[in-house]
Amino acid sequence: MADQIVQMTVNGRLEQYRIPQHMTLLRFLREMLALTGTKNGCEAGECGACTVLLNGEPVNSCLVLAVECDGATVETVEGLTERGALAALQQTFMEENAIQCGFCTPGMLISAYALLQRSPHPSDQEIKEALVGNLCRCTGYERIVKAVRQAAQA
Amino acid sequence: MINPFPVLPEFEYIRPKTAEEAIQFLQSHPEQARPFLGGTDCLVALRNRRISPNFLVDLKYLDGFQDVIFHPHDGLTIAAAVSMNEMIASEPVKMTYPLIAAAAREVGGYQLRSRATLIGNICNASPCGDTIAPCLVYGGMLAALGPDGKRCIALKDFFLGPGKTILQPNEIVCSIRFPLPPAGSRGKYLSIGRNALGDLAIAAVTILAFPDASQPSGYCFRIALTAVAPTVIFAEEAQRLLSQTPLNEKTLEQAALLAGQCCSPIDDIRASAHYRREMVRVLTGRALQQVWNALQKDVQQEGGNG
Amino acid sequence: MPELDQISQGIGENVARVDVQEKASGAALFTDDIQFGSNLLHARIKRSPLPHAIIQSIDISQAERLPGVKAVVTGADFAGRIGLYLKDRHIFARDRVRFIGEPVAGVAAISEEIAEKALDLIRVEYEPLQPIFHPLDAIKPDAPLIHPDLGSYEVVNFIFPEPGTNISNHFKIRKGDVERAWAQCTAVVEREYYIPHIQHVPIETHVAVAQVSHLGKITLWSSSQSPFAQRDLIAKTLGFSPSDVRVISPYVGGGFGCKAGVTMEALPIVIAMKAKGFPVKLRLTREEEFYTNFVRQALVIRLKMGCDQAGNLLALENTMYWDGGASTEYGVNITRAGGYSSTGPYDVPNVKTDSYCVYTNNIIGGPYRGFGMSELHTGIEQCVDELADALGMDKVEFRLRNVVQGGDTLATGMTMHPTGIKECIQKVAAAVDWGKTSKSTEPYLKRGKGIAIMWKAPAMPPNPGSSATIKLNEDGTLLLGIGGQEIGQGTFTVMAQLAAATLGVPVKAVRIAKPVDTDYSPYEWQTVASRLTWSMGNAVLAAAQDARRQILAIVAEAWKEDVDDLDILDGVVISRKTEKEIKLKDFAVYGIPKENFEGWIGGPIFGRGKFMPTYVTGLDKETGQGKRAVVHYTTGAQAFEIEVDIRTGKLHVLRAAAAFDVGKAINPELVRAQMEGGLIQGLSSALFEQMIFKEGTMQNPNFVDYRIATTVDLPDEMMTFIVEVPQDDGPFGARGVGEHPMVPTVAGIANAIQDALGIRMQGPPFTAEKILLTLQSQEEKKG
Ligand SMILES: Cc1cc2nc3c(=O)[nH]c(=O)nc-3n(C[C@H](O)[C@H](O)[C@H](O)COP(=O)(O)OP(=O)(O)OC[C@H]3O[C@@H](n4cnc5c(N)ncnc54)[C@H](O)[C@@H]3O)c2cc1C
Ligand code: FES
Ligand code: FES
Repeated sequence: MADQIVQMTVNGRLEQYRIPQHMTLLRFLREMLALTGTKNGCEAGECGACTVLLNGEPVNSCLVLAVECDGATVETVEGLTERGALAALQQTFMEENAIQCGFCTPGMLISAYALLQRSPHPSDQEIKEALVGNLCRCTGYERIVKAVRQAAQA
Repeated sequence: MINPFPVLPEFEYIRPKTAEEAIQFLQSHPEQARPFLGGTDCLVALRNRRISPNFLVDLKYLDGFQDVIFHPHDGLTIAAAVSMNEMIASEPVKMTYPLIAAAAREVGGYQLRSRATLIGNICNASPCGDTIAPCLVYGGMLAALGPDGKRCIALKDFFLGPGKTILQPNEIVCSIRFPLPPAGSRGKYLSIGRNALGDLAIAAVTILAFPDASQPSGYCFRIALTAVAPTVIFAEEAQRLLSQTPLNEKTLEQAALLAGQCCSPIDDIRASAHYRREMVRVLTGRALQQVWNALQKDVQQEGGNG
Repeated sequence: MPELDQISQGIGENVARVDVQEKASGAALFTDDIQFGSNLLHARIKRSPLPHAIIQSIDISQAERLPGVKAVVTGADFAGRIGLYLKDRHIFARDRVRFIGEPVAGVAAISEEIAEKALDLIRVEYEPLQPIFHPLDAIKPDAPLIHPDLGSYEVVNFIFPEPGTNISNHFKIRKGDVERAWAQCTAVVEREYYIPHIQHVPIETHVAVAQVSHLGKITLWSSSQSPFAQRDLIAKTLGFSPSDVRVISPYVGGGFGCKAGVTMEALPIVIAMKAKGFPVKLRLTREEEFYTNFVRQALVIRLKMGCDQAGNLLALENTMYWDGGASTEYGVNITRAGGYSSTGPYDVPNVKTDSYCVYTNNIIGGPYRGFGMSELHTGIEQCVDELADALGMDKVEFRLRNVVQGGDTLATGMTMHPTGIKECIQKVAAAVDWGKTSKSTEPYLKRGKGIAIMWKAPAMPPNPGSSATIKLNEDGTLLLGIGGQEIGQGTFTVMAQLAAATLGVPVKAVRIAKPVDTDYSPYEWQTVASRLTWSMGNAVLAAAQDARRQILAIVAEAWKEDVDDLDILDGVVISRKTEKEIKLKDFAVYGIPKENFEGWIGGPIFGRGKFMPTYVTGLDKETGQGKRAVVHYTTGAQAFEIEVDIRTGKLHVLRAAAAFDVGKAINPELVRAQMEGGLIQGLSSALFEQMIFKEGTMQNPNFVDYRIATTVDLPDEMMTFIVEVPQDDGPFGARGVGEHPMVPTVAGIANAIQDALGIRMQGPPFTAEKILLTLQSQEEKKG
């Protein structure tokens, strides 16, 4: 099994890592960095629970090889929380009861955050389309959409 | 029984510095090396053990592979590693080739499209690849690079069957180029999936039409059908009818019928062949109507202006 | 003691969930998030590729020799049978396999890569047997027996297997005389529906980690709705005492029933028994989640319902064949629940019910949100619509005339308690402007409205217990110990509210002791059946009252006052007589000094409470009659306005309304959240969901082809209404509402489709294709 040395900035910290080449970014974050806020719901790009920011763009971390991220910047729910980036969304998700089991929540927050970055005042339809890659089995989505709308207005 | 393992099989990750280096690597590792871009098809295929290459060759970081270049006279070139989201957001695509953007917006979710590429969608050669039909109607030309150098491949000649193309294993696609859409062209992309959005197409119809004085009807229509044949296809009889018969409600309806007849869909777990055929007819009818309305409006406006 | 209603502070208030901060920051721990260090072993399971076969041989020798492999186990290692109500399942298949995906062997290795290689090295030889994939085939007299030893299996006393057949439970109701009643009916509707298998689809797949000490003590970390049931069932199957097993269960990323009982959790345990000391993790892939664990079993339901000219229901005959799959250890009780609730929420004088649990070589059925009620009501509520149509009667009026009311004698002989179902019906009907038609924007878009109603009782043994503890901390906060699990429904929050209100402290002063740990948490049967608010809630209330009594006694003694003059408000004990005050934190642990240093009063305060229903009776095997079949019924209604594109068959929901009688909404927003989430889950099953099998192999075990509703499939408008007719033995009058909101949805959509298009869809899912084809075949019939 071949490893590779990779330089990556994860949540603001640039470090060198030795990573098996066939390891996904999702596994790397969860298993090597204990950043378990990023969830594994399918490992096939279908559920969005593993969504993180790669160079500022949301990606399914289960469909990215960790070694591809050599020289890249990765941010997870932990890092974004720490630097306060998610504060407005977290507040409205809590207020609107947009969280039940919470398993989809980190991915939802990151998709919503990325949406508000590129479109600060999205329509409801835009919000729904931006979150179509994030499955939630508990909430029925309505409250999630509302929470994103509220955060955009805040 | 589909029983994927939780981890990817082992392979080596190769990041070549130049396109030539990539070709050389592919050339010297026949059957063992696989090029990839966004990896959204590739990694899933690996996980399901549908492919088992020893090497994955990452083409994303090659020089010039990230560019979207638009010339007001020559048209548009989209390089291989441009993500669907970058492409959707780019002005020339939005303004001049809107069908590509419209179809791309239906591919998976936003985060998937941060990685998924147009060229990946094309090279994957799935009959339900959403963006293939728009590329066909805009007359896309692929620029491929192989051991013998560059060659241009018209997209319409590229596909052989599901997952099969004329590309050699040691060739890669570097970009796709589109001529300017014919003057006055109007188009529509309509698709139907199980969910309202984000699902693979059960059937999709892409139409591009433009005034063409050389045709008896005065118009030329390009109609491409997705997910209803082994490859994305043109609805040729329907196209012919529309260029040769005076255009009216009835012609449009008939063309839609022809489109439904010309495809060869299969029954699968997503839909029956019968339903797919029906949807081709209905979606073609609707798309034609909208395109025709737009074309007529153009005529009226021209008349008004002149 | 003050009356409950005097201390209902915070009850009925939309307190913020106690778990959201953790969940919104990524800090909330789920089982897969727990770090076990580099000694963690990875388990993988070799599964049967055949639906029905004799296992001739298993050769694990090569796998065992592979470097990095620490343990390989097969069914030969463990003889015991496991199961909640009927012990009919081996942890690993022994003599034969009965469904595709059944565990045959398991390995633990130092990496998942090595575990994968080891599986490839295991050789299994099978002798195929004739498989059965449909319950109606399985009940044929000449059908091969899937469980020839059924007669020897251990079974609880309210389940009735029929050895020598493939029927593992047969529940009957015989009330009145249906045969005579048909003659008096003006309208009779007779229908058969097939409701396909669907899956729960929690976004977190099953994951469990087991560690077995060198003394043989077992620790299991699992994503579970049932830590205590797992401890009990697994221990007994393996020949341990339950207290030798410890189950620790952190947050659960969605359950909906599939994480109840025991499914895959025993696998890592038996593997870990061969790799003592090592933690062994098994995490199911999404695909395994689909086809190796509990699913909602399919159902064939035959209904005959009749009413008189005035629209009074006179008789109902209900025959249900539940496709229990290869094991029905849990499913047998769904059959029973379907049986005793088989009339739906209607008062019907003559009832004949036969509910059969049938073995097939399909995947194992288990509890799924609604426990059989969605399937049952999909039939009942379409028949009721057809009866109303036959009489030309308004469907809302027909329902109002026939719904069950407090005091009615139910089909089982039980007397119904007061219920707000009529109000629920009226609320949802009004919300969608029932009776008025609205116009669509295009001629090919047709609109229609539909209504469906429901009831459901907690389905469980007669005596499932709950308990709770309350420990006061030095800072005046309290630690609430419960064994029920937070699976997203909000139970931690509701319990905190109940404890806070009863004790007289702010909700934010309540901490929930978690993770649930069978060594430290008080006993709770299972987090199922929508029973926690009611059952565990009662235990929490009792624990809080116990703590309150202790607190007041200490202060009364210290102040030499009467306890009746004391109260606790916002964490402060006050005297209404002397206006003295003392904060809980000033004495909760250390007590209160007596005057003049003459000693101390009090000491650490520790409240405890329990609850167990004691009044549920058995039902006669032949007639289904008994005094009290269940603890209570939660009732409700949904109504929809939809629009269908008749050229594509695409259905879009314009308006959806839901109303449920929850007795008392402890936290109204959480109740509404359940109503919305359940409605969308129901809508998803109505429009998209079906596990597609070909010869027992699931064809769509991933989200690419098992579609569930996403953000873009929402109704334009969703309205929810809370109805509150109190439950006599519920905390503050509360009843559960976790499962109910998805129960009437499929029927409600089917009824709306009928209204819009004049077609009856029968069984779900009502895909665009199915709607279009049904429309087309109807047009053909018309010519
Ligand atoms: C959850 C999910 C949902 C999806 N939904 C849709 C959908 O709705 N519609 C749709 O059309 N697709 C969908 N896809 C498929 C996929 O995302 C698209 O086909 C995407 O465009 C592929 O691009 P990529 O860059 O990721 O391709 P890659 O995976 O990198 O490559 C795809 C294939 O092309 C080959 N290849 C890549 N680049 C080159 C090159 N330059 N030269 C030669 N060969 C090359 C690779 O070897 C591989 O076989 C979905 C995928 C997933 C995982
Ligand atoms: S885990 Fe990556 S999308 Fe599901
Ligand atoms: S809150 Fe449970 S999956 Fe979204």
